[in-house]
Amino acid sequence: MLDMAEEKDLQSTVKPKVTLRDVHVHYGDVHAVNGIDLDLYSDKVTALIGPSGCGKSTLLRCLNRMNDTIPDCRVDGEILLDGKNIYDAKIDVVQLRARVGMVFQKPNPFPKSIYDNVAYGPRIHGIAADRTSLDEIVESSLEKAGLWQEVKDRLDDSGIALSGGQQQRLCIARAIAVSPEVILMDEPCSALDPIATAKVEALIDELSGRYAIVIVTHSMQQAARVSQKTVFFHLGEMIEQGDTTQIFTAPREERTRDYITGRFG
Amino acid sequence: MTDYQPFEHEQDDTGVDWNSPEMQARLHRRNIGDRFFRFVGFFAVTASAFFLVFLLGNIAQKGASGFLQTSIEIDVAFDADILPDPTNLEKDAFAAAVAQVNMQYLIRQALTNRFPEVTGRRDTTRLTRLLSSGARAQLRDIVIKNPELIGTTHRVSLLASDEIDQVVKGNTDVSVDEANRKLTDMELGWLQSLESEGRVTKDLHTRFLTSGDSREPELVGVWGAVAGSGLTLLVTLLTAFPIGVFAAIYLEEFAPKNRFTDIVEININNLAAVPSIVFGLLGLAVFLGLMGMARSAPLVGGLTLALLTLPTIIISARSAIAAVPPSIRDAARGLGASPMQVAFHHVVPLAMPGIMTGTIIGMARALGESAPLLMIGMVAFIVDVPASINDPATVLPVQIFIWADSPERAFIEKTSAAIMVLLFFLITMNGLAIWLRQKFERNW
Repeated sequence: MLDMAEEKDLQSTVKPKVTLRDVHVHYGDVHAVNGIDLDLYSDKVTALIGPSGCGKSTLLRCLNRMNDTIPDCRVDGEILLDGKNIYDAKIDVVQLRARVGMVFQKPNPFPKSIYDNVAYGPRIHGIAADRTSLDEIVESSLEKAGLWQEVKDRLDDSGIALSGGQQQRLCIARAIAVSPEVILMDEPCSALDPIATAKVEALIDELSGRYAIVIVTHSMQQAARVSQKTVFFHLGEMIEQGDTTQIFTAPREERTRDYITGRFG
Repeated sequence: MTDYQPFEHEQDDTGVDWNSPEMQARLHRRNIGDRFFRFVGFFAVTASAFFLVFLLGNIAQKGASGFLQTSIEIDVAFDADILPDPTNLEKDAFAAAVAQVNMQYLIRQALTNRFPEVTGRRDTTRLTRLLSSGARAQLRDIVIKNPELIGTTHRVSLLASDEIDQVVKGNTDVSVDEANRKLTDMELGWLQSLESEGRVTKDLHTRFLTSGDSREPELVGVWGAVAGSGLTLLVTLLTAFPIGVFAAIYLEEFAPKNRFTDIVEININNLAAVPSIVFGLLGLAVFLGLMGMARSAPLVGGLTLALLTLPTIIISARSAIAAVPPSIRDAARGLGASPMQVAFHHVVPLAMPGIMTGTIIGMARALGESAPLLMIGMVAFIVDVPASINDPATVLPVQIFIWADSPERAFIEKTSAAIMVLLFFLITMNGLAIWLRQKFERNW
């Protein structure tokens, strides 16, 4: 059935933004991710679902090499961004992370002003030429994150003074500010209340056309609401991938069906 | 698709009887235990508070009079025949000429005028010993400052000797047999006579805070030691702070976690527990022996104390850095910040309050340290206030040690007064640390 999915992908004329080929991840002796082949597309939201400890977050963190700092983590196989292996020695990890942004499980704004939070990325990468263009980047990023109206009068307030949902949208704005091509989201709503979750989900939907978004989630409903493609993991292996509607209405695998109907997980 | 079923609770008949006598007895025992522990804890706190108050009270009670000093007013005839004529002399030349004059003679004249019944060399010497040996210099300064006094007789206030001072303050018991005390009945009679005229005064002794050490208790000051401590701590801060903080940043943020860094970490922790005198030996061997630096100088003292403070600073800085939530590092890394940008833009600023608190605590420890400085010769008797880090100097704790070791009774209050000065600086530094911690403490 994996072959079928691949064939289907090959048929599409759009080139995948990120391609994973036979990716294995080891933490010391633990084989956390076992031979993943996956394509991610620029105009799609891909949801990674699966029970806790199935390796979906690990795989996500491989995509911008956030696992580099974990001492005994080893990544094998190929992860290609626009056809170039991101684990190649020639790849500069600093630049890679500018191209592949990340939003974390717990909102983690810097304890600085709202403005500085968004401006930090452009500043360290030297994206803005002067103060005016930096102002523009900050405004447009906050605008895209749907936060501009709420914070435009208090850009100098601390980012940690915002509510949880606002903080998470600030983090998304911060990620967008460096114009990434891929945005990785690691359970971005798990620390938020339902109303804030709804806002963030609406935002993901809004952003979906412009960036390749990969979202790890524990919520089936969320995967069903925001994603176009869904990948189901179990015990480090990819069990099934396909269009979200297909996964949720007609899963091919029994384990997928059991998981999405809540029989295990 | 929900096949959720509520958990079934089994009703068991072997339920607990919360009202049984055993249960009541157990509850009672627990409450007694609670009360007992609360009492013991309260007792412990009260006892330590009592000891602290006793200690501080004792020092304050003994030391407070150390800031006062007895002076005796005498009518000095500024004899124009002996003193130089200021009218045709430059200021410096006049001062030099005044310095040549035997002021002791003027003092003796003034005292024998007041007590004409005193004759004979021995008694006259006794009489002049009512005043401090520093009275000559005092009188000289008065003449230099007020040349118009020459040719007149003027009442001036001069420092009393330390023994007179102790009698006036009531620290010396004068009821004991004459043979067993330093002052004879005759001298006490003179003192009484002067007191009855209101010529004996106790004034705030600014000299104690502005001058250096002396052999005479009434002439000593802590300023030499305070300046020595200040210069020493400056050297300590300027070396230990950057080295310690950079070491902590490297170990926490950059160093690979392997056997070598583990050993380094264990050794740093062990160094923090090494007796301070060992650091003194190290300083003696390296800075004096190997590098041949100046003995007794704040430079060497500061470097030695820096060795002592380094582990404290590294340990506190490391824990402050480790306390910065990893999510902040993730956020910065996720935006493409390089490891150095992560450390210096985010981690270090957030850890700074903790680092500063640790540094101040380490500095306070260095300020109170005397043992390592004994090894590098900072225990010397130094009268001059040090002006640079290469001048011979002593520090407050060593000064206290020297005074405590001196036999004169008047040094008891000087020792306590110096302890009060040291405590003042320690409390100020700790207060600063607490203030910094509260001002910059963050909650994530």
